[in-house]
Amino acid sequence: MSKMFGKISEAQIGAALAISYLLFNLVFWAYPFLWLIILSISDWRFFDTPSFSGLTNFFVVLEDPEFWNSVWNVVRFLGYYLPIVLTCSLAFAFGLKHLGRGKAFVALCFLLAHISSGVAYSLVFTKIFSSTGPLNSFLFDWFGFKIPWLSSPSLAMLSISLVVTWKFVGYYGLILYSGLLAIPREIYDAAKLDNTPPLTRLFKVTLPMINAQLIMVLVFAIILAFSIFTEPYMMTGGGPLESTNMPMLVIYETAFMRLQPNRAALMSIIIAVASYLVIKLIRKFLERDVALT
Amino acid sequence: MINFRKKSLGSWMISISMYALALTWLYPYVWMVMASLKPTPEIFNTSLFSGTLTLENYQFLFGSAEKLNRPFLRSLFNSFFVTLSVTSSVLITSAYIAYAMAKIDFWGREKLNNFLLFQMVLPVLMFTVPMFVLIKQLGMIDTYYAMILPGMMSGWGIFMMSQSFKGIPNDYIDAAKLDRSSIRQIVFKLMVPLNRSIVAIVALFTFTGTWDNFMWPLIVISDVEKMPLAVLLATFSKQYSAYVGPVMAGAVLQALPLVLLFIIFRRYFMQGMTLSLK
Repeated sequence: MSKMFGKISEAQIGAALAISYLLFNLVFWAYPFLWLIILSISDWRFFDTPSFSGLTNFFVVLEDPEFWNSVWNVVRFLGYYLPIVLTCSLAFAFGLKHLGRGKAFVALCFLLAHISSGVAYSLVFTKIFSSTGPLNSFLFDWFGFKIPWLSSPSLAMLSISLVVTWKFVGYYGLILYSGLLAIPREIYDAAKLDNTPPLTRLFKVTLPMINAQLIMVLVFAIILAFSIFTEPYMMTGGGPLESTNMPMLVIYETAFMRLQPNRAALMSIIIAVASYLVIKLIRKFLERDVALT
Repeated sequence: MINFRKKSLGSWMISISMYALALTWLYPYVWMVMASLKPTPEIFNTSLFSGTLTLENYQFLFGSAEKLNRPFLRSLFNSFFVTLSVTSSVLITSAYIAYAMAKIDFWGREKLNNFLLFQMVLPVLMFTVPMFVLIKQLGMIDTYYAMILPGMMSGWGIFMMSQSFKGIPNDYIDAAKLDRSSIRQIVFKLMVPLNRSIVAIVALFTFTGTWDNFMWPLIVISDVEKMPLAVLLATFSKQYSAYVGPVMAGAVLQALPLVLLFIIFRRYFMQGMTLSLK
């Protein structure tokens, strides 16, 4: 009897704990969510009362060249970032698998980059990439030229991708490495028996076997591309000539500098939906079930 | 035989280049620390390990910067205060709610679990603007509350802990109940110690994420007295970009706590990174 009583009161405690979480989310999740919808279909400048404006914001955002430029910049960023970071982190994963001694040390060095603070390393790379910085003085001393890493519209995005690559190679590499470890040895032995050339082995055996990890890295990279803020804000401020103006910078400026929260809210919905759709497409067309039978 | 030797030479090359790359990866850190220890005019004119070494940049940061309306010492305190508040709150709430989710049978548990999963899929970037509206309506712009309250509970933390708590045999809990342990005792004397690594992982990743958070405090804090270090450093470097030495000293302060945490708790960090893969 007492046990039963104890059980009831425990279920109540459980429900109370769950309700505390729901109440928290009512305030800090559902309410903002409601405002997101209100903002996107109204006209408001933070001070007056919102007035319903229907689809006006939608058409304004659709015709906003700065917004579309930032979406295009996501594509440009991925164009640089994906090939560089995928190649580097694959190489890192193979290298790590190959290493006998010092695995932990090597992983530690690469992961130290991954936990560095965004503002701090953005500032450091701004100085390293500057025209008098160590990278350019090295290039000038040895090869007699300098590269305008952050001040050229055609290079700034590449430079930012390189910095972000520096940060993420260790983490992505570790993900791929865990995939490599899971590949059964027999598959390689079979490929070796068949005399499969190394490149074929890579594309027909190894990469398909770590499909799940590759997709995961891809998804992380895409989420990052749509939501990156600190690095472009600190290193280029979106310039030169808006060549690194990413969506989050546009949203930040639209909402808090130009005081147009409705357009910013709608932009953030569009960006969120776009990133969701891209990830969905990637999953649909690239994800393979490689369960061994 | 020859084949074997050739392979081992190649494998040596790979190993050595991996070590070399690993050290190269640390170059930005080394450069940052060295630059923070040199007088500004020497930073771009001396090679990495030469030049006068001095602490004047740090002295400037903690002394003269105050006169430029940049209270760095205060901002360091702000960063620690906000980060520790959020982290301890996330730990306590996650442990309790995760225990409920994992071990207590209550109505709606499945639904809550689905809600958590749904929340984690939804992109956070959508919430920035409306969250600002909420904080503004609550009259919390330019207060610590603006930085702490929205992060006090974490769906991710609850999810991670409850996944791990599920693995603890019910016998342990029943035994604790026979000893008339309260829920608080079961959670903090039994579940947390038994799931030490997952708790450490949630703590470390919450700490890192909050310390590193930049956009949100940039939006809600404009009073220099309440700015966390990341934001104060950013405004300082935008306005006084010629002060390279002090800026680098600030970057060292901003990066250092995370680096130290990572080196001390690297085992948990590594575990956490591989755990999220499953």
